[in-house]
Amino acid sequence: MKLLIFENDQWINLTPLSYTRPVFELRCGMYTLLERIMAAVKTRDITLFVRDYLVNLAKKNYPFFVNSFKGDDDVLIVDGRYLVEEDFRTDKEAVYMCEDEVVYAFVKKENAVKIENRSICEIVDFVKTLPPIKIDAKMMKYPWNLVHYNAEMLKKDFSKSKKIGISGNFSPHAVIHGSDSDVYIAEGAEVHPYVVIDTNSGPVYIDSKAKIFPFSRIEGPCYIGKETQIMPGASIREGNTIGPVCRVGGEVEESIFQGYSNKYHDGFIGHAYIGEFVNLGALTTNSDLKNDYSPVSVYVNGKVVCSGDLKVGSFIGDHTKTSIGTLFNTGTSVGVMCNITAGGVLPKFFPSFVWYVNNKFMKGFGLEMMLQTARAAMERRKRILTKEEEEVIRKVYEITADLRKSYISRSLKMKS
Amino acid sequence: MERAEIEKKVKEVVSRILGVDESIITPESRFVEDLGAESVQSLELVAAFEEAFDIEMEEQAALEVKTVGKAVDFISKYLK
Repeated sequence: MKLLIFENDQWINLTPLSYTRPVFELRCGMYTLLERIMAAVKTRDITLFVRDYLVNLAKKNYPFFVNSFKGDDDVLIVDGRYLVEEDFRTDKEAVYMCEDEVVYAFVKKENAVKIENRSICEIVDFVKTLPPIKIDAKMMKYPWNLVHYNAEMLKKDFSKSKKIGISGNFSPHAVIHGSDSDVYIAEGAEVHPYVVIDTNSGPVYIDSKAKIFPFSRIEGPCYIGKETQIMPGASIREGNTIGPVCRVGGEVEESIFQGYSNKYHDGFIGHAYIGEFVNLGALTTNSDLKNDYSPVSVYVNGKVVCSGDLKVGSFIGDHTKTSIGTLFNTGTSVGVMCNITAGGVLPKFFPSFVWYVNNKFMKGFGLEMMLQTARAAMERRKRILTKEEEEVIRKVYEITADLRKSYISRSLKMKS
Repeated sequence: MERAEIEKKVKEVVSRILGVDESIITPESRFVEDLGAESVQSLELVAAFEEAFDIEMEEQAALEVKTVGKAVDFISKYLK
């Protein structure tokens, strides 16, 4: 059987996180959405469908077919925003729908040939003609959905992983408060003295070569990614997924770090999703609860959407940097490659690539200099900005230009 | 717009953004060395010039301008 995973035009609702990656690369629990789909379907004959400007990047990153499908076998077609929790049904040809959206479809070989070399819109239109079956499915429509389900998925993922025990270096002066069977410390990971791992509310999984420095407390459920460092004295509260090669200190609660990002110092981040190569200056803090306890609204691509959730933090695009003392309002969305400096109550939306200085949106030093900074930041973590990644950033710069210009122009017209 | 008029407006903007007295600003004044502009203030200067003259400047080229006189030259090109 073949597997076809797609993203459609709904990717825009997962911005700023999805500007620089396909939606199925977003994390929830211990895994990305793609890893979950692939784990549920035992095939390596995979085709990905992504938006045009991500094609080269996807081709470079995956050994799969991209945006070109050959219909010579049965195929399972899955929306990349689907948070898979159970096995796919492939006993009969059908389309599985949730609230009028295609979640997935199983197409027999006889019909698969009809969608060969078609666009993803045509493929989705075709599967909509199959017998529909309604299901309850968790579709990650907005960034806060990923955060909302993170703690629950962490518990389920730990249990499914069957990994228990200490393979790494666990100091005799560190303690596990709660059940030992809810901890996994991978080979090469280090837990230093005076660390407390609290499993009373959920399991803690510390992946290989991660380092947990002294006096920090990690509360489950939690996943600490490969080569990530938890800085001395950190308070890693419940429900966090911290991807690979991050540096995280201060207080973090119910948040997701995609990977390669720094929040080195004190400051609170809660119910947030932080992209790659983000640097949060010391004391950067986000609010995740309004003082009137009402549902939090978030700007999605410049438009306000009510999340329906009471606790929503910040969503921060790749390569964005904040100054010391930056205070983000509840439900703030910050684009890709922004530079934000502290200044009173900040706006709730920052278009990609803006610099926010002295309470004004500005163009900053320009794209070329931002790319130079990105290269320097990536080199520090032994990554290079590939030609394909640079292409994506340049495209995002282009598609976000109008929104950025309107914010800058409005900002300049306001009195200092 | 006449060059003198541009220069007058540039000086007003520089004085406001950098907090220096207009009387000490000359065409030879260097933004960083003589007028004490920090990197963040140079961004503000670019934004303020765009606002004052209703123009859109190429940011990297604009940030390479080092003196008040050169800023007048640079802005003049956009006003032609």
